[in-house]
Amino acid sequence: MTARPDQDGDQQLRLLGDAWDKAAEHWRDGPARQFGTAQLTPLLQESRCYLEALRKLMDLLETAERETDG
Amino acid sequence: MTGIHADIDALKGLHDALVRYRNAQRDVAARGEDQLAATRASLAAKASRLRAQLELGQAEYSACQDRAAQADPDEPVDCSGYARAVQQHSEQLEQIRVWQQRVDAEAGEFSGTAGRFAGLLENDLPRMEEHLVAVIASLEAARRVRAPVP
Repeated sequence: MTARPDQDGDQQLRLLGDAWDKAAEHWRDGPARQFGTAQLTPLLQESRCYLEALRKLMDLLETAERETDG
Repeated sequence: MTGIHADIDALKGLHDALVRYRNAQRDVAARGEDQLAATRASLAAKASRLRAQLELGQAEYSACQDRAAQADPDEPVDCSGYARAVQQHSEQLEQIRVWQQRVDAEAGEFSGTAGRFAGLLENDLPRMEEHLVAVIASLEAARRVRAPVP
């Protein structure tokens, strides 16, 4: 059974967060903080916002299919 | 050696993770759009089937009413089954129409968020990847400069 796209997206978001945590253990200078604050954090926030909207849409599509069957 | 270059290795790992993330989320977005298109097509097909059933039911009900009008008063024709079928199909069709509107409304709301995310994947993420490549190159160049002459 194929996972829903929003669930796969969540999984990818977790993997990226893990990669950042791992990188942040060794990359701790000013540019690292700047990268985290100015680039990565907005990316993660926008990703969460998109995936939440996608989850809502996928829920609605599933309900629409179910409610109009038969 | 691992300790010395651990930051560079970690940055390369992060860069690779960003590339994988961009490709994977593009796929996620495409599958979301596919699912939306599939559901819209499915609802349209159900509506089309129901419209055909409704037309048939209305014709049968109308024919029954004609028979009832001409029937012997002692042997009345019961058309209530046809009436119920017409009513049922009509309600189901209306339900589908309501769902189609809800899906369109939700998809319209979603498109703004999806557009921003698509822009992020197409523009911002590649810039972040390039930035990391530059940082990695800079660190590697500094290490080469500092490396002891054999």
